[in-house]
Amino acid sequence: MADRILPAAYQPPLPLDRLILQDGAEGAGDRMELDVLIVGAGPAGLACAIELAKLAKADGTELNIGVLEKAEALGEHSLSGAVVNPRAFRDLFPEVQDADFPFRGGGPVTKEAVYLLTKAGKLRLPTPPTMHNKGYYLASLCEIVRWLGTKAEELGVNVFTGFPAAQLLVRGQAVAGVRTAAAGLDRDGNQTAASMAPNDLVAKVTALAEGTRGLLAQAWCQWQGVTSENPQIFALGVKELWETKQPLDRVIHTMGWPLPSDAFGGSFVYPLEPHLVALGLVVGLDYKDAGLDVHVLLQRLKLHPLLRPLLEGGEMVEWGAKTIPEGGFYSLPERRAGDGVVLLGDAAGFVDVPSLKGIHYAMQSGMFAARAIFRAVKSGEGAGTALGEYDRMVNESYIAADLYRTRNMRLAFRDGFYLGGLQAALMTLTGGRFPNGKYRMQADADVPRRLSPGLRPGSVFTPDGRLTFSKVDAVFKSGNATRDTIPSHLVGGQGVSTDVARFYAAMCPAGVYEAVDGGVRINAPNCVDCKATDVLGPRWTPREGGSGPKYKRM
Amino acid sequence: MMKIAVCIKRVPDSETRVKIAADGKSLDEAGVKFALNPYDEFAVEEGLRRKEKAGTGEVAVIALGPAAAQETIRTALAMGADRGVLLQADRIPVDGFETAQLLAAELKDGGWDLILFGKMAIDDYNHQVGPLVAELLGLPCVTAVAHLEIEGTRGVAEREVEGGIEVVEFPLPAVLTADKGLNEPRYPALKGIMAAKKKPLEVKPVQPGAGAIEVLALTLPPERKEGKIVGEGAGAVAELVRLLREEAKVL
Amino acid sequence: MTTVLAVLEQRDGALRKISHEVVTGARRLADALGSASVEAVVCAAGPVGNAAGVGSFGADKIVTLTNASFGKYAPEGYAQAIAERAKNGGYRAVVFPASATGKDLAPRVAAKLGVAVAADITDVAVDGGAIVVTRPVYAGKALLKAKVAAQPAVLSLRPNVFTPVERPKAGTAETVAVNVPPGRVVVREIKAAPAGTLDVAEAQIIISGGRGLKEPANFKVIEELAKAFGGRAAVGASRAVVDAGWRAHADQVGQTGKTVSPTLYIAVGISGAIQHLAGMRTSKVIVAINKDKDAPIFKVADYGVVGDLFEIVPKLTDEIRKLHG
Repeated sequence: MADRILPAAYQPPLPLDRLILQDGAEGAGDRMELDVLIVGAGPAGLACAIELAKLAKADGTELNIGVLEKAEALGEHSLSGAVVNPRAFRDLFPEVQDADFPFRGGGPVTKEAVYLLTKAGKLRLPTPPTMHNKGYYLASLCEIVRWLGTKAEELGVNVFTGFPAAQLLVRGQAVAGVRTAAAGLDRDGNQTAASMAPNDLVAKVTALAEGTRGLLAQAWCQWQGVTSENPQIFALGVKELWETKQPLDRVIHTMGWPLPSDAFGGSFVYPLEPHLVALGLVVGLDYKDAGLDVHVLLQRLKLHPLLRPLLEGGEMVEWGAKTIPEGGFYSLPERRAGDGVVLLGDAAGFVDVPSLKGIHYAMQSGMFAARAIFRAVKSGEGAGTALGEYDRMVNESYIAADLYRTRNMRLAFRDGFYLGGLQAALMTLTGGRFPNGKYRMQADADVPRRLSPGLRPGSVFTPDGRLTFSKVDAVFKSGNATRDTIPSHLVGGQGVSTDVARFYAAMCPAGVYEAVDGGVRINAPNCVDCKATDVLGPRWTPREGGSGPKYKRM
Repeated sequence: MMKIAVCIKRVPDSETRVKIAADGKSLDEAGVKFALNPYDEFAVEEGLRRKEKAGTGEVAVIALGPAAAQETIRTALAMGADRGVLLQADRIPVDGFETAQLLAAELKDGGWDLILFGKMAIDDYNHQVGPLVAELLGLPCVTAVAHLEIEGTRGVAEREVEGGIEVVEFPLPAVLTADKGLNEPRYPALKGIMAAKKKPLEVKPVQPGAGAIEVLALTLPPERKEGKIVGEGAGAVAELVRLLREEAKVL
Repeated sequence: MTTVLAVLEQRDGALRKISHEVVTGARRLADALGSASVEAVVCAAGPVGNAAGVGSFGADKIVTLTNASFGKYAPEGYAQAIAERAKNGGYRAVVFPASATGKDLAPRVAAKLGVAVAADITDVAVDGGAIVVTRPVYAGKALLKAKVAAQPAVLSLRPNVFTPVERPKAGTAETVAVNVPPGRVVVREIKAAPAGTLDVAEAQIIISGGRGLKEPANFKVIEELAKAFGGRAAVGASRAVVDAGWRAHADQVGQTGKTVSPTLYIAVGISGAIQHLAGMRTSKVIVAINKDKDAPIFKVADYGVVGDLFEIVPKLTDEIRKLHG
């Protein structure tokens, strides 16, 4: 095994004993009782809160709804491409015109192009049918979240920013609520004069809308033995926002260079405004080369003749990173509802990779959940059967239908870019019916990584500080201002060799890991909560509220 | 019984990337996150602690600013302040004296034991509204207080000066401006955030005068220039000091 | 005749050096206004040692306002004495230093004159008869240029910007005893700042040490240099030496999140690991002292000195002491 690393071998198991806590356990400061608790103020959680508040209002029912969000302010941990399918917006706000939604781009997408890149060249491809974006809208997810948050608060929803949910409170097999993370601890985890004890929030129903690789969603599934046909797999997206001198008038997607052919992924270039361009690179975390570094690959990509002229003379104003659940239909938990709990959005895996969409599924799942929750709370059941309605609604909706249609498309790419591309094309032509059956996947951490000295993409990249940036510069541009004396929130495994440390250092886009003699140094405050580490390396746990990035227009 | 007023300001977050607006005279507020001025946080915290120590009393927060400053006031209410007043104006005057006059008019007959400010706002660095208000109200004032003790109606404050710490005695009622180090502001608690929604927040429209300071331009500072190696060894120190004095102007 | 009033500072009966900057700034303004004169004023309990010396920086006249209570800073007494003089003298402008005392005193005087302070300015000019100032705002991320129409204009000058320039003038001296009521706010004493109280996140000047110091005891060369700045400098440390237990965590500079941006950052024996650079790169002026000329710290430094820090730093300490002596 000297030339391979198996990430799972160095990854500690999910600490279920800490994550699942009996309600009433000692150690909490305030305790607050709500009707419905939503964990995560993203598109799923906020759509759920808004729909719930609207249902309660229409019904004349008093409903106490709380949304917990770990970011210091709304939207600051939200990151997406994004081209948004507006259908969930229209469903949630039938009274609002498209033009009044928090979209960018000055109207729906009209021009788009897909390119296959080589190191110096490009080949324009016909836009694959799944990637058609005409009629959809460019947007910043941060701005969408702030807009939704304002709507929710106007409807009387309590949005608590700066409060990460750290533990699931349970009674028997039922979810009772969550305990938040403590704040103000010193580096060794001791209390200080300014520290704040965790809070317990209990509710009739808890909706876990934590986003990608949600900690409590994982814990609940494992605790309840809820499995999926395939393990969930992830991609890592690294994104930058540029103010450009040159205008851009179309949505661009690229495939190929600078990715190695055994990695799945591609780039997006979206003009939020003619001179405000979001660009990013997304790479499946089942890549094979231990030295692959998504951040560095994005830096290289910007030097390609397709992009360089666009960016030259411009300014990179924001940087961020986030994982994306890519497993699709076969990675969905077999049920997304349980006793007192539902799973929404990315936390449930509602992402369609071939169309690069997730936001409208997230919102729609939140709205379905709201309808089920409202009935459950109203009927006093609060539990199993009533919330099972949510699963039924999702299963009968376009969410399940869309994901089923493309069920094997991403999975085909485990065999590499070209073979995968061919199979995906056939799947598109046959509406997902080719080939028969289901592609099996391993969890990303179970994919062995090749150590190939001298062939490490990214190992010899020197940023110029104008077009290309180091991870430190990048983290700075994420707005990350985490207190540097908080206890480390990353839980590593045993026996991490220098090779493994190098793998971590390349994997993490935020420079959290550094390979040092005989091991790894963890610069935990750098973490931007992208969760790649939780997929492939040390476990991520919530830290003091308000830590992490402060995205503005990502 | 302590009756305390805390004057606070809504300012762009300290991490704000400054972009100049099209008028060439102001900050482009698109995408800017606003927050409670950090020095005012110390003032709010101190107000809360003084009231808690006294056992009874009131902490009122007062802000001059746009309607959105209600959010800033709610932050202070979530920390524990009892009520808020927004002197609502479309713009915050550039001329600190205009601001001070509006605040002084609001504070005038309040019967306050303490009126607290942050020592400065992190946007305009004006460093003066607290003492201007004190003068207008004829109250004793200590600025940039980093340590405070109050017994009855006498207070002792410490403030940092060049090369030492000035120890200042003053009688109450008084106006104090808070510096970092005065205390460690508390995190707003969940219950505080809930409670803040129900606390009284009065909005009073005001019309600031034009003032005597007129903004001509807001510009970005010149770019950092390339660094240089001054020399090698102790022999280079004299030249280094000269450059720091004459070129960089930091000594 | 148009006159600019420059408010000087004394401590223990001796003029503080910043007074020369104030006179220099006032002179620049007076010249821009067109052959205006500069009158310098200082509050003191008695004669101020080197007051007449400000003549050489461009003051036409030096007035010492004396009162028995003026030995230490008397906020209310000073403010009243200066405001009365300003009111009666018909000055075009009153110029303060934006020192700790000046920041306290200038607004008190301004309020008595019914105007605001144009605070912490870095430049002053006259345009069509109007006084135009430049001042940094948004933590130095932008410069505000503003016209000050107030009569008189009250300005405070950012320290270390108006480098004193010799402009010999007659510098006639005068002492005026003033009557002021006893102040309610009384400065009892100036205590020495306890060592190490200055937080790196707040300090104007940070001297940071790294592994190049070789052992913890050697940090005393850094502490000596910090002391030479007279309480304005904090001692910082790189992550490496904090991890090694040489310094407390509180001293650490250079982890994302604790970005320090002092006016002057001196990195001593710090190679410049990315973590460190992230924490200090927004400093206004960066000086690096390191024996390895290829150390990454030199890439971000404005001024670098290559060589043995144990020779360079003590020499620098001596030079700084001379300046601040």
